[in-house]
Order: sequence, then structure tokens, then C-alpha cells
Amino acid sequence: MKKLNEDQLNELQKDLDAIRDEVIADLGERDAKYIRKIIRLHRTLEVGGRVMMPFGFIPPVFVAATASLGIAKIIENMEIGHNVMHGQYDWMNDPALNSQTYEWDTVCTSDSWRRTHNYEHHTYTNIIGKDRDYGYAVLRLSDDVKWHPGHLLQFINYVLLTVLFQWGVGVHELESEKIRRGELRWRDKLPFLKDFVRKGGRQGFKDYVFFPLLTLPVAPIVLAGNVGANLIRNIWASTVIFCGHFTQDAETFTEEECEGESKGHWYLRQLTGSSNFTGGKWLHVLSGHLSYQVEHHVFPDLPAHRYPEISEKVQAVCAKYDIPYNTGSFAKQYGTVLKRIGKFSLPDVVRTRLEGKRELQAI
Amino acid sequence: MLARLSNTKALHWLGRQLLNRDNPAGYFDPLAEAINPMWVQEYTPARVENIINETADTKTFVLKPAKRWAGFQAGQHVNICTDIEGVRRTRTFSLSSSPLLWQSEGQITLTIKRLPGGLVTNWMHDALQPGDVIGLTEAFGEFLIPEPAQPVLFIAGGSGITPILSQLQTMAAEDYRAPVTLLYYVRTQNDVIAREALQALAARWPALSLTIIATNESDEPRYLRDSDLETVAGIKAREVFLCGPKGLMDLATDLLVKRGLKEKQMHSTFFAPPAQASLDSDQLGGEVTFSNSNLKVGSEGDANLLEIAEAAGLKPQYGCRMGICHQCSCRKTSGIVVNRLTGKVSGPGEEPVQLCVSVPQGPVALDV
Repeated sequence: MKKLNEDQLNELQKDLDAIRDEVIADLGERDAKYIRKIIRLHRTLEVGGRVMMPFGFIPPVFVAATASLGIAKIIENMEIGHNVMHGQYDWMNDPALNSQTYEWDTVCTSDSWRRTHNYEHHTYTNIIGKDRDYGYAVLRLSDDVKWHPGHLLQFINYVLLTVLFQWGVGVHELESEKIRRGELRWRDKLPFLKDFVRKGGRQGFKDYVFFPLLTLPVAPIVLAGNVGANLIRNIWASTVIFCGHFTQDAETFTEEECEGESKGHWYLRQLTGSSNFTGGKWLHVLSGHLSYQVEHHVFPDLPAHRYPEISEKVQAVCAKYDIPYNTGSFAKQYGTVLKRIGKFSLPDVVRTRLEGKRELQAI
Repeated sequence: MLARLSNTKALHWLGRQLLNRDNPAGYFDPLAEAINPMWVQEYTPARVENIINETADTKTFVLKPAKRWAGFQAGQHVNICTDIEGVRRTRTFSLSSSPLLWQSEGQITLTIKRLPGGLVTNWMHDALQPGDVIGLTEAFGEFLIPEPAQPVLFIAGGSGITPILSQLQTMAAEDYRAPVTLLYYVRTQNDVIAREALQALAARWPALSLTIIATNESDEPRYLRDSDLETVAGIKAREVFLCGPKGLMDLATDLLVKRGLKEKQMHSTFFAPPAQASLDSDQLGGEVTFSNSNLKVGSEGDANLLEIAEAAGLKPQYGCRMGICHQCSCRKTSGIVVNRLTGKVSGPGEEPVQLCVSVPQGPVALDV
């Protein structure tokens, strides 16, 4: 990790706070209009998808309906739900956009998400052992975790996690690895399990029982379309999120180096532990602006559509302190994620030898 | 009826399952708003039909709420909500029209004075236009016409006349069978709100005696005097309704008590930010636990819970920030709070509190 002394960290904090204050002072009509426009788009796509789905026996309609519903779920989860729950729109004082009461269209309950994501992940970002989002307790993505033969098959785990992403996120707070290790008892997790079953049941009932049965003669088509829409969302959400922290140069941290850290150090960790990807306007909207993961981690409660506007200022701050600003095309960043998953599935001996060889070749 | 009720209940349940929210009807509001704002479900939409200038700084807004609005009793208030610069603002106003107008024409009126520096009243005066839609809550308030009829004395100051206008019109229409007196205090004769309506009422309804007194037209201010009350026949038997600035209300209460009127005969309602009760700030403050946010912060002096929460980086729901609208109400699980308006001290147990007017007295725990 890039080292800065105490004074530099304080200075860094001041520089970033200034960017934040400027946006906060400017919040208003424009931001409200933006999020309301996105919500209208979401409702339109969802209604459109649900209405078209029963006519999915016509193949192009099936594709349109599934895509429409899938994109609706992506927008709701990423640009609306995730961002609203971060408190990005709390200043609007609209009860429908309140971070503490918003409930999103996915298996994970919003309460669980606020605990595991807003609190744990955003506070302990990339600290191995404390940020359970780092590899989701099923993947080995750094040499801070000891290798065992099971890791050889982790690419299969990755594919499964991606395909079933909403369920994976939903059970994340179960902390099954701690139950396996005997650090927690099932009994401790009963309240969580109850909520998980209620919300998971609700989501399953909606997409896999209610809407198919509502249009009984074409139930299999509607079921298939709804499964498809969930799958599209799962794969996209997982991919975007993996690009945010698991790219080649995204750094990891140890508990020791973060003990009693200052706000400036927290900022530095967010800057170096996150990675962006570039693309067109709609790629950013569909990723909930998590394509600006660096900006998001530095300012998680600023309205996300502001990230592109402040990106240059954040880059200037990074340049000032010689902090790497990790970005690249979507394809390039995702490529390094896949490489990382593959690399750390191998025993350290093999991995270091392979890496050494590559370095030699490079020379 | 029962079948319909269970039907709506079942629908509501289904809506909650499908749409992940406690008010499923509001899910389509963003679309409804774009097509016809009167279809919005989250609040009762009300269209501005007409705006009437009453005085230089007071306007009457004639509104047509959506049909599902439940109506009101004369003397009650509503909360209105509207987005200004992207921020939802809630304020409480008295209804100035009679419920009869709502029943016959589906209309209500709010008579609103421009408050210097006031965000919402100024916006309503400057930006709100006929055809625009604002949100309404159901009506509330206990400032109600006595039933059965008893002799009444109204004492109004400035725009405090608004709930009384509603009451007088209603009483006149129902041919209220007891003497009614209105003492109406205004700064100058130009500040009389609804003068024509009041004079017309007095002309056709003999039970009403109307006195309008300007307080600031002579060198010496001419406030409420005991001799004003002297003119009210059988004052000791009257139900008294007070609405106006705090100075007037305090003065009137004092004089009435001296005349031997009982507290339960006197009814008052706020029309402007009520003055704060004087609190002994040495005893105030304490550690506040925000249980849902895993946060504990200390507080000193007369900072209220809303200010304390915001200073700690939390963003609870709020509305008027003066103890009226209950948007910021939430559960206190333990601890004692003092109501900033009344000076009343709460019990130590679990109860709802209004964050914006509750000041901790010792440690307090909240579900925030």
C-alpha cells in the first residue's frame, strides 16, 4: 500500500472533504429529477416486461420481455436500491427514498445489506479477515489466505456464485464459514434465517409462482422468462461488483495496518482498494455508477450520478499524492479479475513460479 | 362491505409480497405523477383551483383534493407536502373553509400568510400556481365547535383567524343556537383577512357579534384589554377559542382566568411556530443511543433529538421541525425527554416521541 505520513493523510482528508462539501452544497432539483427519471424508467421497464412476458410464445417478444425485466431488476438493484440505501437521497426527505426503510427487489433483505455492505464492507474495505465481501468467504483472492486443495476448484465456485448471485448475497450474513468453524451456532443465526426465508420466499413466490400461475396457459414461458431476467441481473451484478475490488491492482490490507486508523488513512485505503472501469453513459447507469467504484468508496453517500463529474477532481488528488488511480476498459478490468481468481486457485509455489516466469519473459 | 374489506386486505398483502413495500399502491406513483398527478397514492393529491389575495401578505388557496380524502371538521388542520428544490417539505395549516364547501363542491381552502424568511409560505406565495398539485394528509386537531351548542367567545389574532373562519361559516350555516362573539385583533385595518366574508356573516346571522380591533394604528399599541372582555355578555359561561400570536394568547388566558373562567373552558391552537417553554438547561442533555444505527452520542443543553441525530451524521425523517407534523416521530425505548414546547417531562418507558421538540434529560435510547 502506498505510504503517506500523518500530515499527508490529513491533507488528503482535507482535499477529499472539500470535493464532498462542494457537492453537498449543490444538491437539489437536478439530483431529485435524475433519480425520479431513473425510477420512472424502472417502473416502465418492469411493467413492460411483465405485460409482454405472457406473449413470450413469440420468440422476439420473449427476448424483449426478458431483457426488459432483467434490465429493470438491474436498474432497481444498482442505480436505485444500492444507492438509496447508502443514504444518497436521504436529503430529499422522501419516505419512498429513505435509506433506512427502502426494500429492494432481490433476495437479500435490506436490513441485512445495510449491515454487511454499508457497514462492514464500506468500513473495513479489503481488510482480509474483516471485509467478508473480499472473496465472499468462498474464493481465495490474495495470498493472505492460506491455500488448500479445495481452492483448485474455485473457478466452479465463482461461476456458481455468479449464476446464483442474489441467493449468495442473501445468505452472506449467515457467516456459514464461522458456523463451520464452530465460532457461531446455528441458534445465533435464527433471526437472520427467519428474515432470509421470508424475503427469499417473497422473491421466489413473485417470480417463480405468482406471475407464472397468473397466466397459467403460458406458465412455463413466464417462468422461463422470469428465471432469465433474474439470471441476467445476477450475472451482471456479480461481474460489476467483482470488477470493483478484485482487479489485478486493487490492494488488500491487514488488520494491523488499519488499527486505529485516521479518516485520511481510511480515504487512502478506499482509493487504493477499489477499481473503476470506463464505458458509455448507459454502462455507468446500468452499473449503478459502480463503474466509479473509487469515487463511490470515497463518497458512498453522494448521489452516484455525480461520480463522473467529480472523477477528474479525485484523479487530480490521486496524482498530487502519487496514489494509483485504478481504471481501464471493462474488458481489461474483468480480464484481470478472472486471472486473479485463476491465479490464487493454485498453490503458492506454482503461482509464484508462473509469475516469476512471466516477469522473466517481460524482461 | 366485509367482503370488500377482506378483499382490499388480501390485495394489500399481495401487493406487499410482490412490490416489497408497506404501501404497495405508492409503487406506481412515479408513473402516475408523470401522467396525472391526481393519481398519486402515497399522499392525497390536491389541485390548486384558485388563489385569492386577502391582504398584502396573505393569500387563500382554493384546493380540490382527490375524492378519497376523508374530509374534516371545522377548526381542524392538515399537513401539506411539496417538493421544493428537490426536498420534500411538510407544513401544517388550518383549513379556513367550512366542511360544507368540501361536501358540496369538493373544495377546501387554506389561508396562508407569508412568513418573513419562511421557505414554504414564500414558495406558496411566489411559485404555486392554479393547476399545480400538492400533497395533503388527513385532517387532525381538537379545536372543534362545542356540541351541543353553547355560548362561544373567539379571540383571534392576525392569521389566527383561519380555523375560526371555518367554524363561523359552519355555525352560521347550521344556525348555531347560542351567542357567538369574535374579538379579532389585527395590526392595521389593512391586515383584516376575509373582512367581507366576516361582515356578511355578521349581517345575516344575528347570533354573531363581531369586533375588529387594530393594535398598531395609534402611537400606543392597543392590545387586548379587560374592557374588551367586559363587553362580552355572560362571558363566564362561554367556551373560549384562542388562536393567534403567543403574546395575545397569554394575555387573554391571564385575563380570562382572573375573570374566573376554568381551564377546560379554554381551547387554543397554534398557528405559527409556538414559542419554546423555558427549560432549565442545566438539567438537560445526556447520552443518546440510536439503537438501529449502533451509535451513541453525548449531548448538552437544550439540543433536541433531531439536532443530536443529525449532528451524529444520521438523517432521520423530519417535517416541520417545530413539533407539529409528526413526520419525525419515532420510538423511544428508554429514558426521559422534555417537550420543548410544553415543558412537559416524559415518562421513562417506551413511547413515541417527536424528535424535533424532545430534549433528553439524562440517557435516552431511540429506535433510530
